[in-house]
Amino acid sequence: MQDRIVDRIILDNVSRFYGEVLGVNRVTLSIPPGITSLVGPNGSGKTTLMNLITGLVRPTRGSIRVLGVSPADPEKLFRICGYATQFDSFPRGMTGFQFVYNYLRLSGMTHDDCERTTAFAIGRVNLGEAAHRKVAGYSKGMRQRIRLAQAIAHDPRVLILDEPLNGLDPLVRAETIALFREFAAEGRHIIVSSHILHEVDTISDQVILLSNGYVVAEGQIRGVREEMSEHPMQVIIRCTRANVLASRVFEQDHVVEVRLHADGGGLLVKTRDADRFYKALNHLALDGLGIESVAPADDNVNSLYEYLIGGEESTR
Amino acid sequence: MNQEKMIGQWFSQIGLVIRLEMSKTFFSRRGLWVYLLALAPVLIWLGHSLSEINNRKERQALNAAHPVSNAALRSITPGMTIDEVLEKAGEPFAKVEFHRPNASFDSYQYTDGDNVFVFTFRNSRLLGINERDRDTIPKDSLIFAGVFQFFYLRLAIFFGCVGVFTNLFRGEMLDKSLHFYLLTPIRREILALGKYVAGLIATVVIFCTSTFLQLAALSLHFTGSEVSEYLAGPGWGHVASYMGVTAAACLGYGSIFLAVGLLFKNPIIPAATVLVWEGMNIFLPAALKKVSVIFYLQSLSPVVAPPDANMPALQKLLVTAAEPARPAVAVLGLLALTIVVLAVAARKARQLEINYSTD
Repeated sequence: MQDRIVDRIILDNVSRFYGEVLGVNRVTLSIPPGITSLVGPNGSGKTTLMNLITGLVRPTRGSIRVLGVSPADPEKLFRICGYATQFDSFPRGMTGFQFVYNYLRLSGMTHDDCERTTAFAIGRVNLGEAAHRKVAGYSKGMRQRIRLAQAIAHDPRVLILDEPLNGLDPLVRAETIALFREFAAEGRHIIVSSHILHEVDTISDQVILLSNGYVVAEGQIRGVREEMSEHPMQVIIRCTRANVLASRVFEQDHVVEVRLHADGGGLLVKTRDADRFYKALNHLALDGLGIESVAPADDNVNSLYEYLIGGEESTR
Repeated sequence: MNQEKMIGQWFSQIGLVIRLEMSKTFFSRRGLWVYLLALAPVLIWLGHSLSEINNRKERQALNAAHPVSNAALRSITPGMTIDEVLEKAGEPFAKVEFHRPNASFDSYQYTDGDNVFVFTFRNSRLLGINERDRDTIPKDSLIFAGVFQFFYLRLAIFFGCVGVFTNLFRGEMLDKSLHFYLLTPIRREILALGKYVAGLIATVVIFCTSTFLQLAALSLHFTGSEVSEYLAGPGWGHVASYMGVTAAACLGYGSIFLAVGLLFKNPIIPAATVLVWEGMNIFLPAALKKVSVIFYLQSLSPVVAPPDANMPALQKLLVTAAEPARPAVAVLGLLALTIVVLAVAARKARQLEINYSTD
């Protein structure tokens, strides 16, 4: 039990209200090492959750432990934890190097160690050439990277990153994702929030889906998907006689919806039982309906997200 | 981490916070007006001195044109006739004549180079003598004490501290950069203390420099020998005391406005409340006087400021007399007040949250 506490980020029935406005409500999580993505629309509570974990805001109710350390104890917490917020502002007049160096010095490192560590961290985010330029002159992507450098400089076991891929060009984005994977492979906790769901899909070991301050699902993407037995699976079928196929599949009791494509050359089927659907489709294929391709439309975070959060809230 | 090492680290962190805050406090555009507040009294005293130097030059030129000694002027007494005065003092440098139905009036002005004497005659008899002495160090010392206690401490340093200390946290909230400190392994109390010391260094340097320059500016119109004589007497003691009181004001007001910056989103109303409280100090009962910064500062001031001669009689009735605190008591009282307020600020810093959208 003790091992589990010191190896996990644990939120126990945590709520946070801003006056009468809900930040997050009754959040209970046990986050293991690896990459965990927080997904949800604006205002869903992702940043609040990250701020709670790092002690930037305090819970109205409940308790939080980060590898056994309370967020109310910054002296201990920020020796094991790094946080790159999405606040795009910096202390005035500093170069990127000074920015990382100055805050690193507060951790008690010597000047020489700080210089070396700062240079290393800035190198890891590929900002070496711009290190001695003023942050005020950085592009958005560079500012994003220097914040990441500051968060990783002290080699934390827990890395919390609020929208870390925002503003990065594709090459840097790929490098940054590789860096996250490298950290995760070392057994660290990486918590990432993002609106770019397809990236979350590819980098996450687990996801936490948030809506209106509530955790609506958590776990491995596939696991979450399976937990949602009520969530109809979507399949896209391209065929020459789509209208005939539509009428035939709709006779199946597990099919809940069929939509014809506008071009008449395909259809989208929603079914509650994928196995039975595929078996039935095999039979129908023999009837000469001209089936060209069959593909699942939604075995990713995006579809889950849409399903769980509801059609009114668009995904970003 | 053992306790000794931990305390060592706290000191090191305070030093680092001071270093980080220094440039922000000294060179922030937001704090430019603090320099103006500190510079304004220097300019006023400088203007006063230059004006006095100019006046003295004029008086000496007039005395050269209309030579008369101080002794001759002092030998003139009321009741003398115009002719007797002219015999003793010669022709005045300025003469004014005016008539009323029942009498004629004459006004003769003389100068011995330093002082100006105005003799007013009624029907050619000396009615009265009005002497405008040149400024002396004791006289200017009293004026300086009044200005220092009623304006410099209560307004310039007060508002300077409002500007510097409320901005230590609030300014970074507005810049949305405070969280960088909060993401480092530093106790919030240590952060508050480091910021306070940084603010204190900045205000002490700015306002003590101003105090010194004010005294220097004030002494400009005195002769070298007058200044040397003053410094050999109480002068250096006064200079040291005024600078000490200035530093003490920054210490006390600094702690209050650090706490205000942490406790309130808008520091204007609490600052105005403190201003009123400090301003009504002379009307407070003795026990309440001690819950203020100005009481201790006035107790520590080397020259007692003269009471306001223009204060209405009714207002004078409300003034409550209280013995000034002895210097040691004043210093301890001020320190105690500062420590209590800093403890409140540290406690608030401990609970500090980052919520820029509502700040």
